[in-house]
Amino acid sequence: MTQRRSYAFGTGLFIVLGFAALAYLATQTTSVANASQGSSYTVETHFANIGQLKNRAPVKIAGVRVGSVQAIDLVPGKEEAKVTLSIDDRHKDIPEDSVATIFTSGLLGDQYVGIQFGQSKTPVKEGGEIGLTRPAQQLEEMIGKFFGGGSAPDRLGGTFHVTGSFTNVGALQPGAAVKMAGVPIGSVDSVTIKSGSSEATVTLAIDKRYSQIPDDSAGAVFTSGLIGSQYVAIQPGGSPTFLAEGDQLILTQSALQLEDLIGKFLVNGSPSDNKSGGAQGGTQPDNSGKK
Amino acid sequence: MTTARNDNVVVRSLTQIGACGIFLLTILAAIPRSFRHGRETIRQIWFVGAMSLTIVMTCGLFVGMVLGLQLYDVLSIFGGTSATGTVVAIAIYRELGPVVTALLFAGRAGTSVTAEIGLMRATDQLDAMEMMAVDPIAYVIAPRFLAGVVALPLLAVVFCAMGVFGGHLVGVTWLGIDNGTFWSNMTATVDVHKDIIDGVLLKSIAFGIVVSLIAVFQGYTTPPTSEGVAYATTRTVVASSIAILALDFVLTSFLI
Repeated sequence: MTQRRSYAFGTGLFIVLGFAALAYLATQTTSVANASQGSSYTVETHFANIGQLKNRAPVKIAGVRVGSVQAIDLVPGKEEAKVTLSIDDRHKDIPEDSVATIFTSGLLGDQYVGIQFGQSKTPVKEGGEIGLTRPAQQLEEMIGKFFGGGSAPDRLGGTFHVTGSFTNVGALQPGAAVKMAGVPIGSVDSVTIKSGSSEATVTLAIDKRYSQIPDDSAGAVFTSGLIGSQYVAIQPGGSPTFLAEGDQLILTQSALQLEDLIGKFLVNGSPSDNKSGGAQGGTQPDNSGKK
Repeated sequence: MTTARNDNVVVRSLTQIGACGIFLLTILAAIPRSFRHGRETIRQIWFVGAMSLTIVMTCGLFVGMVLGLQLYDVLSIFGGTSATGTVVAIAIYRELGPVVTALLFAGRAGTSVTAEIGLMRATDQLDAMEMMAVDPIAYVIAPRFLAGVVALPLLAVVFCAMGVFGGHLVGVTWLGIDNGTFWSNMTATVDVHKDIIDGVLLKSIAFGIVVSLIAVFQGYTTPPTSEGVAYATTRTVVASSIAILALDFVLTSFLI
């Protein structure tokens, strides 16, 4: 009988030990925050670029996980990604004008969707949409920004298009930044040569938030730094009327070629000789008055 | 066994699997009757479970330690040693814990169950029980089967805990990973459902059923000779190992 009792005691001890170990694993090595907490509601967002965002990626508010990415689809016929977020029911009070942004945790970390609250008193509803989004930051764009180049066009307001003719655009590429007072306000949409013309036609996509640009403003192709990328700078004029969709910039200034500058420097000896030298007006508006 | 010697491998294997399945149903039907012999079940849990604790804990500790060491070495190439705890925990929970425990269990407990039942068969004890109107399935087989199904998940959980402890021992105490980083990265990634319930528990319960079934089946159908018992014991280990690893792949592909 004592033999049997020792079996029972040992077995009981073993089972208790097993459950203690299970409790240890479940509580000490996992986070309760990771477990899905009951019901959730879905919200739709649209991004110009989702980068490496994956299904089940976290959705965070102020860095706290509130849900996960449920589905990622391409909007049919558009270069735009539809991301469905599944957000925990406890977080019902997200303003409908919040901004959804794709962030990267750390340099090599996974990407997640961060929601920054707006001002609206109305919360976003089940099946609703967070309309304001910022796309994933691509490393190439960040490097581009570092050299003063283009930033990713965001969807915060939409864009309008204006064109300008340049005799020389240098190394200006579609996607390069359009800046006013050094602030990026849009990007270069296309660089083409129209048939029957010897000038480059540059189409600029400018954010609608910056719609109050005088229509006699000048566009210039500048280079940021010595090895930086080229961008289009808008130098505001004084006209009371503003640029609108489809307008043309009247005054343009072409890119400075480094070779030209060096050539001028060698030929003219010193900048003070400029007036007598054969310097062509590289820094003068090329198309003044031409409409 | 009623299989003829000249049957080919496929026919013999299928016959074995079929007989094994029927045997499983017989055991399941006998389980309610085996509750009358509850003490026998507890004695078997003691024998296959508690007595296996030492080997399982030692192996768990060493598996965790070696994982910590290897991962630290590899992850330091990428400057990611802070992920050591995470990877140790996930590797142990999802794969090594249930699989290695089941393999150890087949070697430590499965063989002795097979040998015990095989010897009972060889020495006509099972027939004697039937003569005394004691159902050997309910009194001998079902308690051992149940004991295995109960004991293996508990052993696997203990193995996992020891493994994480071993990984912590090497990673934090020895190699100097920050203690907070080790735990916080682990808790941030390990998921209760996916890793512990699906990983450790579900897999080890499935392995417990398979290993116990193979062990009692091989013992029960042993040819009543000393050679037959030796052969059945070997077959328990071989068949269990193959079944564990194959089932592990199948389960993983469903669970992942």
